Amino acid sequence: MSTVATGLKTANDLEQYRRHLLGERDPRAHRVRVCVGTGCTAKGAKGVLELFNRTAEEAANDGVIVETKCTGCHGFCERGPIVVVDPGNIFYHGVKREDVPEIWRESLTGGRIVERLLYKDETTGQVAKTPDEIPFYKAQHRIVLAYNGVIDPTKIEEYVAVGGYAALAKVLTSMEPKEVIDEITNSGLRGRGGGGFLTGRKWRSARDAQSEPRYVIANGDEGDPGAFMDRSLMEGAPHSVIEGMIIGAYAIDSSQGFVYVRNEYPLAVQHLSTAIAQARELGLLGYDILGSGFDFDIRINRGSGAFVCGESTALMASLEGRVGEPRAKYIHTVESGLHEKPSLLNNVETWANVPQIILKGADWFASLGTEKSKGTKVFSLVGKVKNTGLVEVPMGMTLRQIIYDIGGGIRDDKAFKAVQTGGPSGGCIPARYLDEQVDFDRLTELGSMMGSGGMIVMDEDTCIVNFAKYFVGFLKDESCGKCTPCREGIAQMLHILEGIAKGEGKDGDIERLEQLGTLMEDTALCALGKTAANPVLSTIRYFRAEYEEHIREKRCPAKECPGLFNYEINRDVCTGCGLCAKKCPVEAITGERKKPHAIDQQKCTNCGTCFDACPFSAVVKV
Amino acid sequence: MPTVTIDEKPYRADVGETILEVAQRNGIWIPTLCHHQALEPYAACRICVVEIDRGGWWQVVTSCNYPIRRALTVRVNSERAIRARRGVMELLLARCPESPQLRRLANRMGVEGTPYPHIAAAQENCILCNLCVRVCSERIGASAISMVGRGGDRTVATPFRMSSEDCIGCGACAAVCPVGTIDLIFHEDEVEISPFETRVTLRRCAECGRPVGSELVNEVLASRGGPTLVEMLAGDAYCLRCKRKKLAERLTAAVPGNGSGRAAQERSLPGGTNVQTGLHAGNPRSIRVGEAG
Ligand SMILES: Cc1cc2nc3c(=O)[nH]c(=O)nc-3n(C[C@H](O)[C@H](O)[C@H](O)COP(=O)(O)O)c2cc1C
Ligand code: SF4
Ligand code: FES
Repeated sequence: MSTVATGLKTANDLEQYRRHLLGERDPRAHRVRVCVGTGCTAKGAKGVLELFNRTAEEAANDGVIVETKCTGCHGFCERGPIVVVDPGNIFYHGVKREDVPEIWRESLTGGRIVERLLYKDETTGQVAKTPDEIPFYKAQHRIVLAYNGVIDPTKIEEYVAVGGYAALAKVLTSMEPKEVIDEITNSGLRGRGGGGFLTGRKWRSARDAQSEPRYVIANGDEGDPGAFMDRSLMEGAPHSVIEGMIIGAYAIDSSQGFVYVRNEYPLAVQHLSTAIAQARELGLLGYDILGSGFDFDIRINRGSGAFVCGESTALMASLEGRVGEPRAKYIHTVESGLHEKPSLLNNVETWANVPQIILKGADWFASLGTEKSKGTKVFSLVGKVKNTGLVEVPMGMTLRQIIYDIGGGIRDDKAFKAVQTGGPSGGCIPARYLDEQVDFDRLTELGSMMGSGGMIVMDEDTCIVNFAKYFVGFLKDESCGKCTPCREGIAQMLHILEGIAKGEGKDGDIERLEQLGTLMEDTALCALGKTAANPVLSTIRYFRAEYEEHIREKRCPAKECPGLFNYEINRDVCTGCGLCAKKCPVEAITGERKKPHAIDQQKCTNCGTCFDACPFSAVVKV
Repeated sequence: MPTVTIDEKPYRADVGETILEVAQRNGIWIPTLCHHQALEPYAACRICVVEIDRGGWWQVVTSCNYPIRRALTVRVNSERAIRARRGVMELLLARCPESPQLRRLANRMGVEGTPYPHIAAAQENCILCNLCVRVCSERIGASAISMVGRGGDRTVATPFRMSSEDCIGCGACAAVCPVGTIDLIFHEDEVEISPFETRVTLRRCAECGRPVGSELVNEVLASRGGPTLVEMLAGDAYCLRCKRKKLAERLTAAVPGNGSGRAAQERSLPGGTNVQTGLHAGNPRSIRVGEAG
């Protein structure tokens, strides 16, 4: 579509190039944007794109010009593949190859709308044409995700055209490193990777560190189960991350950067590699960037696949080619990190915020959010909500707004039970706090944390013990095993939780879990172990009675723990088909044909076979 | 010179010293397991934790690697510090219920037993302190063993869990193990490092047949330009005891009625190097192999 420039020598060259790119654009062009993020690709987006491409090529011969382009993740992956048609910003979801001819004929060239592929609100029945009309997007405020779904992440021209690298040009031409650090500090930006550390302060420490060289690192390890905000950013807007890193490098005087990407993210690696190569070619990376005399380059490193590698010291060990294990050192990595040199590590999302802050100013950023948590945060909203996906909202939005307005409420209109925030080492928050504002400090006060932005919603059918057990089990597999409290403590915790879930819980188990939690928090080597008990401690804090019911009465009120509830046959529903009796492995079910059957509780082993087998849902859990 | 206040008593310390070093120098006992003064701190067992004053709050830190930078206030025997150390010990006892060494340390810490069950681990009776791995790489330079696996699967092992070609059979790992898990088994003409299934040719005393050391240790010491084991043992293929006996016999023969122990001592350890290959004893403080000359 456009000529690719090489070797921009000055900030002015960049601006000229941007104007040139915009000049080439036809605002009325007919364009189809196909999401090729990991989610949509898994649902067949590549086939859709390919068919659009082929159709466009054929049509071009007849003089019909339609632009096709691929974009990064829109965040609404469960509705994928997502296709957007311009002009009009018409949002189609669940698009299959078979739908392509119709979209082409009706929407792209006919100027009409394919109603059946539009989003329809389940409850109100309202149909939405554009993303802004969809409740899932309406309440969002997209800063870092702004380019996702809009630009082609594999083309630097697209990023430049929307104002990309203008922040870098501004920094290089008109700001001293110290001013850059002040701007970030004044914005109130806090790290999006877990701890919520003030980014500006971290940058200052890195700059003040005595030794050289200094390194800049982006943490794209993202190991939380169910989380994919960083993946979507690296895939959908890799240049935002890179631009942020160059600005950070300028601020702390570093000439080498690294992006540490989780091994399971091949598309992120691919898009980042492309982006880095393009930035180099354009003179935005490498020697003498935009003629400023400042040199900086970035290398990509693929993670070794362990959750703990996201921890700063483990990540740096892994970058050095050693085993990705946390290091016990009472010296911060900004002073002595990678190769024992000052190393500035920020999360991918933190980096992506930087260019925006530089362009729009610290005040603008600080005007969003709460007193001590500024800007927006991307959450990965999953679990029992109607709409799952990536949501970016201003800090301070309430849990209720996120779960009900954006998430559409609980699936099958069940009752909300709790939400786990902060990933596996976060905590769970019960219904009575739904109106609390989501920010770093409030979540911590509630016994949970922001973490990197995972949000897992539970409904009334979720057993809290089972839920805690799931996370402890995850952490047991992910503990590096180096230090005693984490390795042994998690194993003991899991052992106790498994006992409780099997009906073998004893008095004192809850207190033992609490003691272990304190011990691990006090003595574990890294934050994985120190926070590993959070899911247990927070569920005990809010759902102690449910633990006690498991332990004392051997009952699971959510009816999830096998053996801690019974199966019965509802006589009013049972048709007497006899299927359950045939399948029961212990012959506990009897009854005459065509008459309601019954389960002999003495014989029943609670295996649940009848529950799954009954075609009429007559078998119930009690 | 910063002052370190430990349990309300002031002590002088050097910048860069660890809390543990200051405490030990002043006779204050803090239990340790993964620490060895000849090795870099690793701080993984967490048995040595103490509390430090962070101005308004007390942080639990590992004393073996917490460096003194400025004046510092430490609590070694506060309720929280003791509870934390005992808690760690209880977890270790559950892992390694059979180690007498571990139980002795537990007793000294006031821990009678453990409330936790023994959960099967990939390597039984190993506390994963990593001392063996570190002595082998940092001091011996062989790197024959390493930590493999994650979490509960973590074990110390040779590459591919096969007899290691890098092992020189020096036995330093066995000597340094604080819980007595690594054994040296002497076969006819080989020494086996027991959990690693590694075997190395063994040199026995020409006189009494007692094990002297592994052949490879000789070669390695020679290749590093230092005195070899054979040279250190005064050129003979005898064990220390037989050699001493022979020397004594020679001396007694030369100077009738005067068996001077001093001359024997001077000749037995040239260069003042104390070579303890681990074949003889389990005193972890005497690993000095490789520092010779
Ligand atoms: C077990 C563990 C896993 C972590 N994983 C990640 C991760 O995947 N991504 C990330 O950005 N930070 C992760 N962190 C936090 C990092 O250690 C570090 O604090 C963060 O990258 C700093 O960036 P920020 O200041 O921008 O948040 C993890 C921490 C721990 C203890
Ligand atoms: S706390 Fe867990 S993950 Fe961290 S060093 Fe200890 S064992 Fe490894
Ligand atoms: S002796 Fe300090 S952590 Fe092991």
